[in-house]
Amino acid sequence: MSEVTLPAAQRAPEAESVSPGRWVRENLFSSVSNVIQTVFFSLVLLGLLRWVLGQIFSEEANWTSVATNMRLLFTYNYPTEQFVRIWFAAGALFLAVGASFAAWNLNPMVTVRRIGVAVVGTGAVSLVVALISPDTTPSAVRTGFLAVGIGLVVLALAVLKVVPEPHRRQVPFIGMLAGVAVLVCGVLWFFPFGDYGFADGAPTAKSGTIDSSTSLPVTVMFLIMIGTYLAGRALARVIDLGWLRRTMIGWWVIGPAFVVFLVLRDPEFDWGYVLAVDVPMGAAFAVGGAVLLYLLAKPSRSDLARVIGALLVALALFHWVAAFFGWYPMLQKARFSFALVAVAVLLAPTFAGERAARLRFAGGWFGFMVLFHWLLTGINTPSTLDIAAPPFLGGFVLTVSIAYYVMLASFPLGVLLSLARTSKMPIFRVLATTYIEVVRGVPLITVLFFFSIMLPLFLPGGMGISDLAAVFAGYTVFSAAYMAENIRGGLQSVRRGQYEAADALGLTTVQRTAFIVLPQALRVSIPNLVGQAIATFKETSLIAIVGGFDLLRIANSTIPNQPDFLGQKRPALFFISLVYFVVAYSMSRASRNLEERLQEGQAR
Amino acid sequence: MSIADQALTEEMASRRDMIVCRGVKKWFGDFQALAGVDITVKDREVMVVLGPSGSGKSTLIRCINRLEVHQEGEIVVDGVEMTNDMRNIEKIRSEVGMVFQQFNLFPHLTVLDNITLAPIWVRKRARVEAEAKAMELLERVGIPEQANKFPGQLSGGQQQRVAIARSLAMEPKIMLFDEPTSALDPEMISEVLDVMKDLARGGMTMIVVTHEMGFAREVADRLVFMESGDVVEVGTPEHFFTNPTEERTKLFLSQIL
Repeated sequence: MSEVTLPAAQRAPEAESVSPGRWVRENLFSSVSNVIQTVFFSLVLLGLLRWVLGQIFSEEANWTSVATNMRLLFTYNYPTEQFVRIWFAAGALFLAVGASFAAWNLNPMVTVRRIGVAVVGTGAVSLVVALISPDTTPSAVRTGFLAVGIGLVVLALAVLKVVPEPHRRQVPFIGMLAGVAVLVCGVLWFFPFGDYGFADGAPTAKSGTIDSSTSLPVTVMFLIMIGTYLAGRALARVIDLGWLRRTMIGWWVIGPAFVVFLVLRDPEFDWGYVLAVDVPMGAAFAVGGAVLLYLLAKPSRSDLARVIGALLVALALFHWVAAFFGWYPMLQKARFSFALVAVAVLLAPTFAGERAARLRFAGGWFGFMVLFHWLLTGINTPSTLDIAAPPFLGGFVLTVSIAYYVMLASFPLGVLLSLARTSKMPIFRVLATTYIEVVRGVPLITVLFFFSIMLPLFLPGGMGISDLAAVFAGYTVFSAAYMAENIRGGLQSVRRGQYEAADALGLTTVQRTAFIVLPQALRVSIPNLVGQAIATFKETSLIAIVGGFDLLRIANSTIPNQPDFLGQKRPALFFISLVYFVVAYSMSRASRNLEERLQEGQAR
Repeated sequence: MSIADQALTEEMASRRDMIVCRGVKKWFGDFQALAGVDITVKDREVMVVLGPSGSGKSTLIRCINRLEVHQEGEIVVDGVEMTNDMRNIEKIRSEVGMVFQQFNLFPHLTVLDNITLAPIWVRKRARVEAEAKAMELLERVGIPEQANKFPGQLSGGQQQRVAIARSLAMEPKIMLFDEPTSALDPEMISEVLDVMKDLARGGMTMIVVTHEMGFAREVADRLVFMESGDVVEVGTPEHFFTNPTEERTKLFLSQIL
């Protein structure tokens, strides 16, 4: 979209910039009651802040407990020599962010005035902290806050004075981001925080800067993000932008699965088993299914496809009956794969068409199967989070992995449930409604206990399930019910005329749902789905209760039990609250931006 | 001669029956929307249905492609009887195009995708072929330059023309129009009517529910007047506008002309 520059007379009048003094007069001290309210709530706010600062700077709070255990909080027992896997995963994420910014040209201009106001605000908060922090605060800290506060305020005010017309002058967002990156890296490399850690079970503390094993990767991450953005912009002039966007969407859908798997898999991974069983089985279903579907997705073979589909459904059901009676052993994922093949074959007539369409359908199946088996192998690696062996996965990495996997798996399940609940077929409707209402009526913690303790008892002999997989399964079952209700709201917002138009064109029910109804319903559901994603992320803390070593468990029981930091709960709990808040707030901001963009799209 | 075949010229009477309704009855709860409608539409005939609101005109044509289900009587479309068999229904729907008052374009798809969706997935056409056909149709309704826009970016008249092109892309034998110009601003009505006239001249079998009397007079082979779910009178435009027989028809025409 190109912007048209209108002559000044046609432009909307520039919003008058209000001086801070006038703003305060108009908004805080405009009347007697307003003055009273302002004074009262300022006092309450300052009192609260002073109390929080008192907690933070209290003599009892030993903050080295957090600094020393930083590695534990983020990665738990993850072997140091394997850290490159985590950094690789983070690098892939930053790469994707940079490339996506380039693909959609998300580089809004930010006014200098806005940046200036933000910096002045930060400086003011820093000053307030310095002034009202309690007597127990170390004087160096107080002086530091004072210096930073005065420095920021003076700097920002000077810039606002020097730059002409600051409210109209703009800088690109990426430029601002680069500035922040330089600042963060500078602090990491040169500020003498000291380096804390454990060596042979005893806490160590070195003065000086943070170890380069942390600051170097962080710097590289920033470089990757800004580098990919610039490379992407350069590339966008040469290649088709639509293609770049489709590639990025594809990456965001499946890429994280591969990356999380990289982090999740056990260092003592049993490659022999994977190569002998997992890979051949995945390949067989992916290739065999793709060939079968390619052959059957021909319009003239619709009846044959229906017959074979029905036979496969019967076979898949029989596998479960056999499992129930323990007739012959079979891996659970083989049973699931059989059921999925059956459903895909039944869908073949719907997606049948000329050669390209058949290839797409078969290719889609191939990709889906590869992903499905990859994920199952990753989540159900035998020794992952096995209580008998020392768990290696925990902390922030575990929180993020579980949250991501649960969202990824419960989304399709939720879509199916919501469709079943709104379906015309009474059996589907009753089953889905029962499922949703039962799950919604049971506390999450009960579901998690059920899956982690009870589920292994019900499985046929010889079939194990790792604790992590059990938690993941229980959480997915729970989350899918809420997801279904969110999507149902979107489904109800699709107008009747859309169904009628699709029917009048002769689309089948499946086609109507896939091409017309769902795309519109999901767009409407996005805000709710993001809200649920945030809830899912925070509620992963419940796995602490069923034996997982997540952020909460480490802060609440691991650190306070270390001999050097006995009883030190508060600092760690403060810290993890901050981590949760930063992640949840970022998601919420991202969702708000997305909503605004979608609204712009509809107003067109 | 039954009421269904009234006012047919000899040449018309010799043509094939495209739509036959016999004693079609339909209730919404206790309200009877159709009270035994008899109508025959011949091949290449343009039939315009008139009547006050609530008279059952829309319900009638929505029954013809089973957007509503009639409870009694029979509807035969191009020799296929409308039953509960889903395959018959899908077959009939893909042969019968429908244009709605509210356009009902798919807002998340571009104009081109709106038009090619059904040919690709229902008729199993190759995408290239379907897109070429779609561009041809957009040319015909006069808006080829809008192909890559979204429906929300078009005016009402343009949207309705896209909706017509979308129906035509299925190469239907019959087109149903449910008050296609009622939701349009006055200055856009003629652009849509022009497309419909062009279609009628091309020999399409059409049933049009409309209040556009000029269109009815110029294009219709026969007019049907309905009231309270009943066919009151069937006749040629000339008969209708100069010398209607029924009192109720006279009253209706005097109110709107």
